[in-house]
Amino acid sequence: MIWKTAWKNVWRNRVRSLVVIVSVTIGIFAGVFSVAFMNGMIAQRVNSALNEEISHIQISGKNYRLNNDPEILITGPDKIVRQINEIPGISGMAERTIINGMAGTAAKSTGVQIIGIDPVMEKKIFTLDKTIMPGTGDYFEKESKYNLVLIGQDLAKELNIIRYSITSTVLESLGKKKIPGSMIEKLTPLSGIRFTNEKKFNKSINSILSRKEIKRYSYEIKNEAWSFREGSRLTLTFLDKDNNQIEAVFRLAGIYDVKNSMFEKSTVFVKDTDLKHLTGLNKDSFHQIILRINDIKQTEKITTELREKMPELDIMNWKEISPDLAMMTDYVHQIYAFFMLIILAALAFGIINTMLMVVLERTKELGMLTAIGMNKKKVFSMIMLESVFLSLLGGLTGMFAGWIVVVLTAKNGINFLRYAEGMEAFGYSAHIFPEISAEFFIIVTFLIILTGIVSSVYPALKALKLDPAEAIRTE
Amino acid sequence: MKVLELINVNKIYNETEIQVHAVNNVALEFREAEFAAIVGPSGSGKTTLLNLIGGLDKPTSGEIRIDGTDLSKLKSSQLIDFRMRNIGFVFQAYNLIPVLTAKENIEFVMSLQKWSRKDRDARTFELLKAIGLSDRANSRPSKMSGGQQQRVAVARALASRPKFVLADEPTANLDSKSATTLLEIMEKLNHEEKITFIFSTHDARVVKMAHRVITLEDGRVISDDIRELPE
Repeated sequence: MIWKTAWKNVWRNRVRSLVVIVSVTIGIFAGVFSVAFMNGMIAQRVNSALNEEISHIQISGKNYRLNNDPEILITGPDKIVRQINEIPGISGMAERTIINGMAGTAAKSTGVQIIGIDPVMEKKIFTLDKTIMPGTGDYFEKESKYNLVLIGQDLAKELNIIRYSITSTVLESLGKKKIPGSMIEKLTPLSGIRFTNEKKFNKSINSILSRKEIKRYSYEIKNEAWSFREGSRLTLTFLDKDNNQIEAVFRLAGIYDVKNSMFEKSTVFVKDTDLKHLTGLNKDSFHQIILRINDIKQTEKITTELREKMPELDIMNWKEISPDLAMMTDYVHQIYAFFMLIILAALAFGIINTMLMVVLERTKELGMLTAIGMNKKKVFSMIMLESVFLSLLGGLTGMFAGWIVVVLTAKNGINFLRYAEGMEAFGYSAHIFPEISAEFFIIVTFLIILTGIVSSVYPALKALKLDPAEAIRTE
Repeated sequence: MKVLELINVNKIYNETEIQVHAVNNVALEFREAEFAAIVGPSGSGKTTLLNLIGGLDKPTSGEIRIDGTDLSKLKSSQLIDFRMRNIGFVFQAYNLIPVLTAKENIEFVMSLQKWSRKDRDARTFELLKAIGLSDRANSRPSKMSGGQQQRVAVARALASRPKFVLADEPTANLDSKSATTLLEIMEKLNHEEKITFIFSTHDARVVKMAHRVITLEDGRVISDDIRELPE
């Protein structure tokens, strides 16, 4: 009967209850969607790091990682490969040669890490082949008599390999993307002008478009207006095994885009055979072996097993290589719970206020209930249940609304093109796919009930202090 | 059989400053199935006396025994439980829980006492029939007249077969027809259920129907007129 009475009491003042319920709904919806959004960002960052940048486990010579000393090599890889194959759960491995050097064109040069790879083996570890920008080439698939290099989009921009021009095709594409006609008209005078670098292009655009238009559309304009010359060349400069400076011309195999500006600017890939030939390094020696594992939860276990088998080598997993990623994945649930707790704490004040009004309005009724035999425990329970029902109604509705929006946005993602440059500078894609787990909903439901209970304490204590004789006295 | 005994009961308010002797040395006994009215002018102590009998207030001195149990010896939680099992209340107003139907209001105390659903339903429908509101079982108080609400309150007070029912000016807010109907029902139930009714009232109709009239003035019993002993 207490449950039934409490439920009916919630609807006694519908408007007031709905105000509380709606406010809880909005708060929880905002929390759920924010968490789903953050989850999506983190998942994308972790996936990108594991599939395009660092892999699950890296094996290198002792102390290689301290200075990236090119003289510290892994030799006799066959034995290591045999040892690796003995450990279950490893789905792929690849060997790499890593040299620090410079990449330059006629316009500019910059420091890079040159990674020599076996493209076939690398495909089992990384998905870099899927990040090649359409029209820029391929992942070392074509045979060539030249040395080939794969560079990042941001490095291509920096070395003026990527150029910009507004052509009629570009204007047509922009029109299809629903860029306002007035803006396209403003861009038309730039037709036929070729801009050799992004800086010059930006300068021209900034002079004809408003600040709002630049903020809203500049990324899309640049995305359509860029081009590059096929067969572009750049010079890689590095030291060989005898510390002699080598300058070698490489042709562009393709331009990759992993949505991580720092990585794109600093890392170029060449065929390991080409690099070995140029540096004079032994073809059976490598600086690094990278591994992919089937189940990310087995990372620690497999790392330990590898260390036991190969104590002479340095073995690091992705959490040790990138502690910031480890922090994101290991503590993310606690962070989310804390985040939701803050939202619920704010909502609790609204619920407390409402329940205090409820107790005040029902002073005589509560006095009557105590008089006829409703004990303190039951009075407390009734008020607590009303508070929990209010919280749950709003909370469950908010969670449902949040879930619906996440489902709707998870398929196609949410595009933040206007913030793409800033986000990619930190390694985050501007295209976010929100995701949320069932576990999170369970935690939030528990927190909502807790909020309802905690919010009811003060009002219920007020109710318990009522003197039934005083309370039922009629004026 | 004695159901209620008041032994030299006093209630003094503001003991340290200006004292108000609301109940002054009252000694009374009530038997099973009595239909008694406590009358007196405003401020004579009727409501205070009823609150003391009902355990809603503690006497400054004296004893109140219900079926041999001294109320002053009970702790607060025990007192609430004792009230639930032994005393029914009918107030002047705010008797019913507005969100519950007539049926739910009547069975409320029985559900607090954990009666089975079957027993609750049987007793509820029996009482609804006795008060003539079988057709209003699923109506909320807002859909009933004042007189109907008070009838439901009487049914609720009797539902768990208490030792006695305390009614504090139950007809005060009713029109004469409703008041008469209510009193007739209460008298009928008093007769059928053999439950003692103790009224505090100004209503002459109540006084007329009562078997015993206790007059209070300045907190003292100045007369105790027994007209008819219960059978």
